[in-house]
Amino acid sequence: MNTKLSNNLTLFAVLIVIAAIMMAFMPDHFGTVRNFTSMSRQFPEYGLLSLANMLAMMTGGIDLSVVSIASLSGVVAGSFLSQYATLGLPVGVIIAIGILIALTVSMLCGLVNGLIIAYARVPAIIATLGTQGLFLGIAIILTKGHGIGGFPPEFSFIGNGNILGFPTQFVIFIGVALLVSLVLTRTPQGFSMIMYGSSPQVSRFSGINNEAVLIKTYVMTGLLAGCASLVIISSVNSIRPGYGADYLLLSVLIAILGGTDPSGGFGTVLGLTLGIFIMQVLQSGLNLLSFSPFMKKFIWGLVLILIMVFHFYRRRYAMQRAVRKSAAQREAAQQDAAGQAG
Amino acid sequence: MKTSLLKRNEFYLLLVIVVFCVAITIVSPAFFTVENMFDLVRSSTGMAILAVGFFVVLLSGGTDISFPAVAIVAQYISVNAIIALGIDNLWLAFAISSAIGIAFGAVNAFFISFFKIPTLIVTLATMNIFHGLLLEFVGTKAINAGQLPLCFKSFGLTDILTLTRPDGSTYGLSVFFVVLVLVLIATWVILRYTVLGRVIYAMGGNIEAAKRSGFNIRRAQFFIYCYVGFLASVMGIIHVSLIRYSNATYIIDSELLHVIAAVVLGGASILGGAGTLVGTILGVIMISILEKNLVLLGLSSYWQQFFVGLIIVLGVSITHIQKRIQNRRSLALVRE
Repeated sequence: MNTKLSNNLTLFAVLIVIAAIMMAFMPDHFGTVRNFTSMSRQFPEYGLLSLANMLAMMTGGIDLSVVSIASLSGVVAGSFLSQYATLGLPVGVIIAIGILIALTVSMLCGLVNGLIIAYARVPAIIATLGTQGLFLGIAIILTKGHGIGGFPPEFSFIGNGNILGFPTQFVIFIGVALLVSLVLTRTPQGFSMIMYGSSPQVSRFSGINNEAVLIKTYVMTGLLAGCASLVIISSVNSIRPGYGADYLLLSVLIAILGGTDPSGGFGTVLGLTLGIFIMQVLQSGLNLLSFSPFMKKFIWGLVLILIMVFHFYRRRYAMQRAVRKSAAQREAAQQDAAGQAG
Repeated sequence: MKTSLLKRNEFYLLLVIVVFCVAITIVSPAFFTVENMFDLVRSSTGMAILAVGFFVVLLSGGTDISFPAVAIVAQYISVNAIIALGIDNLWLAFAISSAIGIAFGAVNAFFISFFKIPTLIVTLATMNIFHGLLLEFVGTKAINAGQLPLCFKSFGLTDILTLTRPDGSTYGLSVFFVVLVLVLIATWVILRYTVLGRVIYAMGGNIEAAKRSGFNIRRAQFFIYCYVGFLASVMGIIHVSLIRYSNATYIIDSELLHVIAAVVLGGASILGGAGTLVGTILGVIMISILEKNLVLLGLSSYWQQFFVGLIIVLGVSITHIQKRIQNRRSLALVRE
């Protein structure tokens, strides 16, 4: 519990410091309501994908296919939505069906990942690398490489509307994040995921159905990518296979920045959310300072590797402290024993 | 102990390739000609060299997804350097690009061996660092055939064997083939006859056991990642000589997927410690035939991505299920 708290406190401090620096340097640009609104419109797209990768990482895996899943479910839902004028159904029904289609397709993609990883025992890296090509390939075949656009105007509510003054996708993200947090902390599935991530053997011997846990994890991962696809196609009002290829790196990076252990067993939604905020503030700041996209690419990579180096030192420090502590205890016990003998 | 031919992954792969070739030849007799085979060698040497590098990393139980970025950075910088220096020499180009490739490999190895960061994450980060650095500080302007120094162009056109068509024009086997054979021999000798090769296999089998047996893991890691960087830089030069165009923003993403597909298809275990060079080469042949000839079978190029993905998924699933069945059998044997 202690690591959880200290991890999130560190992240919170980093967020405050970065935001303060931005505020100090660009008070008329950064500290405006407009900037905050535009930030909260931007991050849910990749925030949902980061959430997906966090779940996969907690079981010791990774999901490289998230962006492709988002592409495929966006394309399938988009081809339906763009036909709205000819279908003759009420707009509300069409949008509901469209959302249902996107979520179903993404769940099926997740199920495919889960089956390959759980039953064929293919390592998640290579399984999802393959399905990344597969899903994107299907999306390209369906659209012949072109984009799809022209959705019902009401559909843009998700990407451009407001709920109680907040951007819709921001509200969606918060809702989904709370749901994921509930699953992780209050359900047997969440507990099993952490168990499996810490040690697959132990979880098997304590009677957990490892295959079921993995399949459910990747179905959830797929679903989250499906949610992201809805936000994406609604805010751009079109979908092109291959959109958001950069989000893959970003989602892995944020999951790790948020404190998720890539070898499994640890991760919190709060930490991840703080990680997302840090990235978004950095990104907006770099945008306002008019850094080139190439420079950003470089900075993302650098941030990722620096976090990992930081984790390495923290782990080593914790280990050294534990060793010192146990040595001190042993010494005390020996002295006690010596005292009693004397 | 040698496994019998029928139990080997390579045998089945060869069978699939033969069936596939026969199928294509029936549909389009133009496929199975010496000229087309020479063409295939010319266009897939780059991929084969990358596959050999990736195979070595995989064998050691790691991954490296930064090699497409390394290839493009090494290529672009060395082409620019040759233009700037005005010395039109292929050896110099190779020297510059290898120096860059090896340096980048050392950066990867540094983070992997000193900070124990998972290899996928290190190379995911460095891929962006290397490519971002190139685009930000070196430039983004593409170099076309007109500006490209002569040495690259003549390297791309050199043949080691020339044959004449019935109409009098000629075609030949590219000099790339020699480079590929050299790379294959070097890798084979390293893996088969040196201590380093043993360490690589041992690391992939069980890194802790390899450490306890006194192998120098750090040195091996530095060798492995520098070797991949070096091979990627060689591929960079071959690539620019082949297509006579160097574009810094173009990162060979599909190449990454194809290379990994080829190596995994060749039977190398993603968990390390198992696989053969022959399997890797067969995997490369399979993928490049598929890549270049889907159109001959009447499928449009949109299907390419789909098929490569499908091949990875099916190929890997089958190998892993096979291994599980084998394990269960040997377990049953032990019980008896």
